[in-house]
Amino acid sequence: MPFFIHILFVISNWIPSMLSHNVIFGKGKIFHFGPMGVAIISSYGIVITLKSTGSFALAFLVGLVCALLISAVFAWLSVKLEPDALGVITLAMHIAILNIAINWTSLTRGALGIPGVPRLSFFSSNTTLSITMAVVAVLWIIFMLYLDRSSFGRQISALAEHEWYAKSIGISKIKINLIAFFIYALGMTIVAFFSMQYLTILHPNDFMFPAFIFYITCELAGKPGSVLGVTLAIVLLTILKEGLRFMPIPTGLTGPLELIIFGVILFVAVWWRRDSVFPNTRSV
Amino acid sequence: MPILSTNSLSLEINGQQILKEVSFSIEKGEIVGLIGPNGSGKTTLFNVLSGFLKHTDGKIDFEETDISEVSAPKRAQMGIGRVFQNFGIFREMTLEENVLVALESLPKEKRGEINNLKEKTKETLEFIGLANRAKEKASSLSGGQMRLLEIGRTLASGKELFLLDEPTAGVSPKMTNDVSSLIRELKDDGKTVMIIEHDLPFIAQICDRVFVLDVGSIVLEGDPQSVQHDVRLKEIYFGADPTN
Ligand SMILES: Nc1ncnc2c1ncn2[C@@H]1O[C@H](COP(=O)(O)OP(=O)(O)O)[C@@H](O)[C@H]1O
Ligand SMILES: [Mg+2]
Repeated sequence: MPFFIHILFVISNWIPSMLSHNVIFGKGKIFHFGPMGVAIISSYGIVITLKSTGSFALAFLVGLVCALLISAVFAWLSVKLEPDALGVITLAMHIAILNIAINWTSLTRGALGIPGVPRLSFFSSNTTLSITMAVVAVLWIIFMLYLDRSSFGRQISALAEHEWYAKSIGISKIKINLIAFFIYALGMTIVAFFSMQYLTILHPNDFMFPAFIFYITCELAGKPGSVLGVTLAIVLLTILKEGLRFMPIPTGLTGPLELIIFGVILFVAVWWRRDSVFPNTRSV
Repeated sequence: MPILSTNSLSLEINGQQILKEVSFSIEKGEIVGLIGPNGSGKTTLFNVLSGFLKHTDGKIDFEETDISEVSAPKRAQMGIGRVFQNFGIFREMTLEENVLVALESLPKEKRGEINNLKEKTKETLEFIGLANRAKEKASSLSGGQMRLLEIGRTLASGKELFLLDEPTAGVSPKMTNDVSSLIRELKDDGKTVMIIEHDLPFIAQICDRVFVLDVGSIVLEGDPQSVQHDVRLKEIYFGADPTN
């Protein structure tokens, strides 16, 4: 039972952020490789505010504002840079933000992380926290499905397919990208708000590359841009990932084995989706 | 009052002069042909007019407003419609979505005038004879059908100026008639059209005036008959006759 509650939380907790990144990367074909940068800023914003004021509402708000600000920078870069340059710069920004979080010890306690994150009294048990997270995840899936069928969904697909053609019918790239990046900021803040309370500790190790690689693996395996496909991939790959820890494998091997299995899955997914990941360029 | 005019429009890329002091003025409702050899700068001129390339000198007025600093999507929203040489439709989307997304991308006032976008989408597909394929992906269309979709979509979005880049290229002979009658309808609707074409008889039939572009400059201008019979036209296309 605790295992089921744990899995439920982990799966639901990936959904709002990953499905939103899927709108940017999967659907929009925008090479935003710095979502963990947003995650770090939002999470630290929430935890530091919470520890110093005790107000959950204020903490959420601060986390959201931080996420929106950094997302505006990412969105601006996404209209200024070519896809490959954007990919490199956003990866670099993730590293830079991580380094700031680790080295600004007076604020963040650096590599030690910040323990003792309080929980809302309603969330005193993992069960209520997991169920609430699951409800939020379902609502987010519905929101994503709605978005898919909305004019925004069509406009971001149009830009992904051919930027000039999209602009020639009046679609503003900066407007659409800002919306997409702001949706990610909101999804990520919700995720951070819940996961910080679930873990009760903010640790910089949770924001390293593996988390981002997991995004990319799920989005590619599930079909870039597909809400239900990526949701299914999140469910299956999370069960595989968490399940491995409970397998009768010598302890020293679980880590490397997980990396190998997920490395293979990522490789296969990239190979399989190679045509749908990169924006196809056509002359006019 | 001219709907579109340029004054000494020039474009230089990497030290290469691609457009040289192009000046012209087009009246509302006129159909103007733009001809010239391959590489003379016709498509580039359209790219500058629709805001995808920024000219390095001169200015562009659309409906008496200087649009030199206006972005491509904004120019589209102001009423400049572009039809691309390689079919500017979204192949991964259905026909219906192709029209709908164009209507949804109009500025608020214009969207308000249409009021029911879904209805207008349906009417547009009926008008171009593709209503029965509304739910199919646009990639399943033939060249001619893609062109009808692109022009029909541009017309439905209430554009005033149409920049058509080789609208009959990649269109089967059978469908060419459908495309050209749709272009004639634009004229009947009082739209202004600039059209790049290689087919001179077609240009002669449809256009009020013709500009000839050569190495980035307008070198010849007039009504279709006089341009077609101008000796200089042959020189531009085939080079000066060395026996002269
Ligand atoms: N973005 C660009 N960068 C460099 N050269 C360009 C660019 N766009 C067009 N050109 C050059 O401008 C010239 C005119 O091209 P184009 O306008 O496509 O000709 P046309 O449509 O008349 O056949 C060509 O020599 C082309 O190579
Ligand atoms: Mg051309």
